[in-house]
Amino acid sequence: MATHLNILTARDLSKSYRIADREIYILENISLEVQAGEFLIVAGASGSGKTTLLSLLSGLDRPTDGRVWIEETDITDLTEDALAPYRNRSFGFVFQSFHLVPSLDARENIMFPAELRGDPLAREKADRLIARVGLDGRHTNFPHQLSGGEKQRVALCRALINTPKIIFADEPTGNLDSENSAVILDLLLDLRKEYGATLIMVTHSPEIAARADRTILLKDGRIAGETVHGAAHAP
Amino acid sequence: MGRPMLHRRFIFRQITRSGKQALVLVLCVMLSIVSLVSISGLGDSIRQNLLKDARALHGGDIILHSRSPFSAPLEAAVSKLTARGEAKSLRVLEFNSVVLNEKKDASLLSNLKLVESGYPLYGKVTLASGRSFPAVLAPGGAIVGQVLLDRLHLSVGDRICVGKATLVIRDVVVNEPDRPVSFFSFGPRVFIHMDDANRLGLISRGSRIEYSLLLKTAQGANIEKIAETLRASAEKGERVETYRSARSRIKRFFDNFLFFLSLIAIFTLILSGIGIQSSLTALIREKRRSIAVMRAVGATGGFISGHFVAVVALLGLFGTILGTLFGYWLQYLMPALFGGLLPGTLRPGLSWLSATQGIVLGVLVVSLFAFVPLYRLREVKPVAVFRKETAASRKGVVAYISMAALTLLFAGMILWQLEDKRIGAWLLLGLAGLIVLSGLASQAVLSLLGKISFKSLALRQALRGLHRPGNATRAILITLSASFSVLFCIYLVEKNLNATFVRSYPANAPNLFFIDIQPDQIQQFSDTLGFAPRYYPVVRARLTAINDEKIDPEAQRTRRGDNLGRTFNLTYRDDLLDDEALLAGTALFGKNIQGLQVSVLDTVTEMHPLSIGDRLQFNIQGVPVEATVSSIRTRTRESIEPFFYFVFPGDSLLKDAPQTIFTAIRLPRADIGKMQSRIAAKFPNVTPIDVTQIIADFATILEKLTLVIRFFTALGIAAGLLIIISSILATRLARAAETVYYKILGARGRFVSAVFTLENLLIGLLSGLLGLLFSQVGAMIISVRIFKIDYRFYPAQSLLMVAATMLMVVIVGMSASVSILRQRPMAVLREQTEE
Repeated sequence: MATHLNILTARDLSKSYRIADREIYILENISLEVQAGEFLIVAGASGSGKTTLLSLLSGLDRPTDGRVWIEETDITDLTEDALAPYRNRSFGFVFQSFHLVPSLDARENIMFPAELRGDPLAREKADRLIARVGLDGRHTNFPHQLSGGEKQRVALCRALINTPKIIFADEPTGNLDSENSAVILDLLLDLRKEYGATLIMVTHSPEIAARADRTILLKDGRIAGETVHGAAHAP
Repeated sequence: MGRPMLHRRFIFRQITRSGKQALVLVLCVMLSIVSLVSISGLGDSIRQNLLKDARALHGGDIILHSRSPFSAPLEAAVSKLTARGEAKSLRVLEFNSVVLNEKKDASLLSNLKLVESGYPLYGKVTLASGRSFPAVLAPGGAIVGQVLLDRLHLSVGDRICVGKATLVIRDVVVNEPDRPVSFFSFGPRVFIHMDDANRLGLISRGSRIEYSLLLKTAQGANIEKIAETLRASAEKGERVETYRSARSRIKRFFDNFLFFLSLIAIFTLILSGIGIQSSLTALIREKRRSIAVMRAVGATGGFISGHFVAVVALLGLFGTILGTLFGYWLQYLMPALFGGLLPGTLRPGLSWLSATQGIVLGVLVVSLFAFVPLYRLREVKPVAVFRKETAASRKGVVAYISMAALTLLFAGMILWQLEDKRIGAWLLLGLAGLIVLSGLASQAVLSLLGKISFKSLALRQALRGLHRPGNATRAILITLSASFSVLFCIYLVEKNLNATFVRSYPANAPNLFFIDIQPDQIQQFSDTLGFAPRYYPVVRARLTAINDEKIDPEAQRTRRGDNLGRTFNLTYRDDLLDDEALLAGTALFGKNIQGLQVSVLDTVTEMHPLSIGDRLQFNIQGVPVEATVSSIRTRTRESIEPFFYFVFPGDSLLKDAPQTIFTAIRLPRADIGKMQSRIAAKFPNVTPIDVTQIIADFATILEKLTLVIRFFTALGIAAGLLIIISSILATRLARAAETVYYKILGARGRFVSAVFTLENLLIGLLSGLLGLLFSQVGAMIISVRIFKIDYRFYPAQSLLMVAATMLMVVIVGMSASVSILRQRPMAVLREQTEE
């Protein structure tokens, strides 16, 4: 059941696979609530189920058990088409591997979600974002012509162009050197504030976790701990 | 060491886990072998069943032909041979004449063959009753083709009237050795005993009769030497051939037709080869990571290459076996496919040699096309475990060498299959031109499309998809547009021929021709018709020299198309016909030219350059005549009006030469039969030709031939579609990623489907339009230059063909993409991340 203040609520989420006769649990009975504007970190060792949790919360995958609400809407059983408006308008995604469309240039990649919703100002918005993240002059470069840091900036702009309510970021600095990681993280956090978005991020990095409002620690598919970095948010 | 060179389990795993790519590869190999084997098999069947016995096909060891009774010296030479027991001779006369029922109220133009007792010298004439031909054919009787019985509603035992004679139908001919198929002659066969020749009253000087003398030489005789002796005695117009040197019309037809089908098979082979390369590239791309891992843990390049060669060899072998079996099975469909062009008794006759040749060729092509993707296995380094493949690797020297080897192989194959190397070279050039043109046009269109900014997001994405790395867009466009251009071209030529000769038969054009009217029959003939048509005198003659340069009939006969060595029909008149115009000269005959003049049709100048003042020497039934070219005429429209190559002045010596009269009239369709019968009853020597019937027969043959061509061209299209599938499989990962990116960014399934549908639609549209463009140009050239008919574009049908192409490409493309479209986002994202 979603509470009024929560932008995202998850109850008893489980994800398992059947291999031969064995049921292998990736996630087991995860419940959490995320408030609007919150910066939540999902931390944990490799294989603890962080990315799986992010995919269930964002509707990219379906849980074996449990439910997910976005504000007051249960998205658990929505079809791909019914999820489309959420992904387009309410969610923004930033991935470790960037996942830019290789056949589109930087501007086209950024514009794409806005064009999908029929925004006539898509191009202007994209150009503003490009300037904001310091990619001026790279508008027409294709992904293979960009560096890792530049690709992630494009991905960041793409995630923000429709002013999403929630940004899901899966180890956004995982493929970057330390200098680019710092730049991307600063941009991400600044832009989140500018756009007033909730940020749910999967990361290993304790430095990043320190800048979050709250961190939940996953271990073997279960929540092993929760740290609130600011006083505003209780576990 | 005892370590096995090849790991069977590894090979088996690679095959079973490659699923669709392996299936496409097998299908491509199968398709290439099917077309080769089925056409080889068809050739074998024809050679074994129809052409196997050259002696039977030509009627004897030595064959003498003439359009007039044989000359005394040749007759004497033959008599000498037979008297010495060196050969046995048999006479045959062939000509067309009308056969009537006994009541004379129904008639049919038939192909009469008068033979002496002892016919045939070789082979066997099969009769419906099963009786022996020599026992049945006796004076007073006739053996006829079933068509005659059907059209005149007669049965065995009924009587027919041929010329002045009445004959009893004794039996029905099913098959004759020197006429294994019947579509080369219009009209059914009627066998009559030579002893009835005079009773018919149809044989007179100037009649269109083919005289043959068939010789069966004694055992061990030197056929070439005897033929040489006979040639020494032969006069002009008499041909002496041996069964080895003679080229029958039927053999020529099948040689040409099989060559044309072979070209289509080679074309299919090229397309299948591209499919093989594309599917193998897809297969190896899917295994790239596994290969990198194997290299990282110590597998040598040789180990990997060896195993993948084994994988390809096994899949190739499987495809080859399937292709051979399917190709062989297709042989059983051939008689039905040819729908009467071949006798129903044709048995599948794939020889081991042809099968082996087909398979070896198939394996060679598979190996050459598979070489580049297999060679590129070397490029997969262990470091690929860490790195994701970003851009397609560039073609290296090896790829270009392999392409050159393939080009040489195909060029060699085409030239090898054709006896006439000049035509082979032209065809090769045409095929290469078609492929190069398709390539250039595809590139131009793709570049142009890349520059246009469309408003629709889905359309823009679809266009971008065409440039997806690894997408075989250009290869698909080239192969599909080239195949469609062949298919469309055949369709358009058929439609144009049909429209010109069959459907839109000109309303005022004559539809009934009468030939061999005697000059003294003209008045009575007009009375019988009820009106006086225009009569054209016809004098048969040969052209012997041009400006004293002798015409060699033998050399002329080897030319394709019309030649100057044949017998011509001359006429005389003083005026131009309505459909004639002068190309050279101010009048048909000039005032300033001395001696006999002749006006020449421009068709003759295509066989030999001629201009006003040139001297032509003719042999008019034994009389040498020289005439000066006074004008050159052309025909202003292609019609079924009578026309003559050589026209002499009305008061010239031709007036007194032995001649027949020819006329052409138009009658309502329903009256043709009655008029034919009336004329045939009154004028047995006159041959009526019902043009509408001939055209209907021609249309049927045309339809059957195009069906066969379409069938084999369809194999080329199938190969093109396999390339689409293999291209989709080769870019599966990229397409799946795109699908998921679209979905993650909020696109609905409808949008994703629209992007892929539009991409396929664009491929279908472009290849259809390019194919249509090439086919329109090709069909126009064939129609105007070869058939000399006006060309129609058929815009509605053309658009339908393009629409059908688009639909087919979309159906195939979307069917191959269904599993990609259904991918769950997370599965693909993980796969992408892991790469």
